[in-house]
Amino acid sequence: MINIFMQNWQTILNGFWITILSSLIGLGGSLLLGTIFALMELAPNKILKFIGNAFVEFFRNIPLLVITLFFYVVVAKDFKISGFWAGTIGLILYTSAFVAECIRGGINSVDEGQMEGARANGLTYTQAMIHIVLPQGFKLAIPSLGNQFINLVKNSSILSFVAGFDLMYQANVISGANLDPFNTYIIVGIFYLIITGLLSTVMRQIEDRLGKGRLQ
Amino acid sequence: MSKAKLKRMGLFASVILVIILIGGVMLGINARERQNKETDALSQIKQTHVMRWGVKCDTRLFGLISPKTEQSEGFDVDIARAITKQIAKDNHTHIKSEFTPVTTNSKIQLLKNKQVDAVAASMTITPERAKIVDFSKPYFPAGQSILVKKNSGIKNIKDLNNSKSTVIGVMGTTALETTKKFAPKAHLIAMPDNSQAFSALESAQGQAMTTDNAILYGFTQQSNNVEVVGKPFTNQPYGLGVDKGQTQLNNAVNKALAEIIKDGTYNRLIKKWFSNIPGLDWRDLTK
Amino acid sequence: MSAIIKFQDVEKYYGDFHALHDINLKINAGETVVLIGPSGSGKSTLLRTINGLEDIQKGKLVVDGMDISSKDTNVNKLRTDVGMVFQHFNLYNNKTILENIMLAPQIVLKRPKDKNREIADELLAKVDLSNQGGKYPAQLSGGQKQRIAIARSLAMDPRVLLFDEPTSALDPEMVGSVLNVMRDIAMNSDMTTLVVTHEMDFAKAVADRVIFMADGKILEDSSTDEFFKRPKTERARQFLSQVEHH
Repeated sequence: MINIFMQNWQTILNGFWITILSSLIGLGGSLLLGTIFALMELAPNKILKFIGNAFVEFFRNIPLLVITLFFYVVVAKDFKISGFWAGTIGLILYTSAFVAECIRGGINSVDEGQMEGARANGLTYTQAMIHIVLPQGFKLAIPSLGNQFINLVKNSSILSFVAGFDLMYQANVISGANLDPFNTYIIVGIFYLIITGLLSTVMRQIEDRLGKGRLQ
Repeated sequence: MSKAKLKRMGLFASVILVIILIGGVMLGINARERQNKETDALSQIKQTHVMRWGVKCDTRLFGLISPKTEQSEGFDVDIARAITKQIAKDNHTHIKSEFTPVTTNSKIQLLKNKQVDAVAASMTITPERAKIVDFSKPYFPAGQSILVKKNSGIKNIKDLNNSKSTVIGVMGTTALETTKKFAPKAHLIAMPDNSQAFSALESAQGQAMTTDNAILYGFTQQSNNVEVVGKPFTNQPYGLGVDKGQTQLNNAVNKALAEIIKDGTYNRLIKKWFSNIPGLDWRDLTK
Repeated sequence: MSAIIKFQDVEKYYGDFHALHDINLKINAGETVVLIGPSGSGKSTLLRTINGLEDIQKGKLVVDGMDISSKDTNVNKLRTDVGMVFQHFNLYNNKTILENIMLAPQIVLKRPKDKNREIADELLAKVDLSNQGGKYPAQLSGGQKQRIAIARSLAMDPRVLLFDEPTSALDPEMVGSVLNVMRDIAMNSDMTTLVVTHEMDFAKAVADRVIFMADGKILEDSSTDEFFKRPKTERARQFLSQVEHH
């Protein structure tokens, strides 16, 4: 097993980096998009609400592979789009549907009095959302967001299907050459564990820090 | 229990789990190797009257799932069937062929796992693979070629030797390694299977798709937009594979292969599958 | 004196439930009015219509010159002139005490930072919580929270201040400090205050007028003295005898 790593360490580390990069972009993108669509789902405006619901239901209910291949095979006919971006965009869209649900759940668990207090205080709905309700909703959503982000890292292996040069892709290439998939995949599994392990530690720390004092 | 203590226990448990996982896999490998030495595939085939073949399900002309029968159909499948029949005849018994779909990536693994007795899966004979599987004599004279879009201006593999070109291959094949020798400057990407590699070519993720000419010809049947260009630049015949050490079965396969070539069954199957492909003369393939 | 709040034939429904019946009421600028009545009588609902937290289905409601019943009225503008103190405080949990007080003046009134801070400090002193500005609401007692909520409303410099049962959720020993602050506002400012409360002593001491409600209707609207000495209706007499026995 150590042999495989010694022989392919450059390839594996390259894949490791691509997986991290795709996960980071996916995390940022899905957080942003997920928040926007959660707010749309909760918006008083019926059209926004409909768009938000439609987005979430659509991307939550089709396989990530289908979204990714759509970008890699169909969209690529008109716009140049690499495997990395097809996979990462797929990852963002797919994950943001789940992130939106987490954030919507978080916002819904914020005491209604918070919005009422802010409105009575003269803030508009949007101001009250941005300054008061959303920050509190975020905190409540953090544990479930953590789960989604770990899923995101694992799902980033979708890049291997569209030649995105990620960890899984390199594992396939290496095991195709050395014909020893068992040990190759174990090595790669350990690298995934490193990322997800780190991520859960960070999420738990954020949870602990925000949990203190401020929220009741 | 304090939170910190719980966390430490969780970490400890994860480490234990990883060790168990790795240990388990090791044990599994050992057990399988032991098992390999113990069972003789040929006598098992004779005993159960079933020979289990791994065949492709995504490769036109060789092994492609037919929507009607939901079974793989192609040259590989027919050869496997003919060889099973011949082995049965040689041993004066009856043997049924059973087919399991395999992918380029999984074919060797299924063989090692003893989920199939032999594979007929458009598999090129390579020294690397010969270390872990036993190959029969070549049964198909394949060579690597490139498939490009019509009017692309690409005439042969040399035209792809620049940093602007991307060549699409299939994971687990030798084609990309070979491409590096002939077009070292080109970018290479690997897709999980033939049909996805073909989709990638169609959506211009690369300028050419490379694999065995025989498979590429299958795609020219399927689509009018593509063509195979240039002569094959390698000689990489296909072999039937059995698990390493199954010498008796391999001998039986080789004997049967020689016999079906001799009695004309082989040429009949070549004609059946390769006689109406533009740009290919099936008579070149006969033996 | 001119009316700063004017209800004219107002009706309010929650679905089939008729919450407010034929409300006609004028409140003059600077008045301190207490609304009392049994629970479920509609007094909180009436209060919440004044800053648009509840809409009305019929009639006309004009507050500070703005017609709330009209769709064109900007409620956000109205709410900068009408403050509200809630039973459950509704302080911003994610903000410090100072931020609670300074947020709305900063982003709604665009009050300059220094001025904003100065006013916040004055208000903290007024509600006797000067050294608590850096804390979060979760770190304060109920009585302290309610005094902060009052300070938060005052920071907007409203013309009308609504109190919706401000002491009902408090432990008895906390009630006094909150009532003191309210009394100070009622006596020493020209703000119009409407208070829904069960604190009869407070009403007697501070109110200019008492409005008695039951079943969504206004049954009595009289001066404080008159209401407590000579209630006109049987319902009011009954209600008073019940609360006074307490």
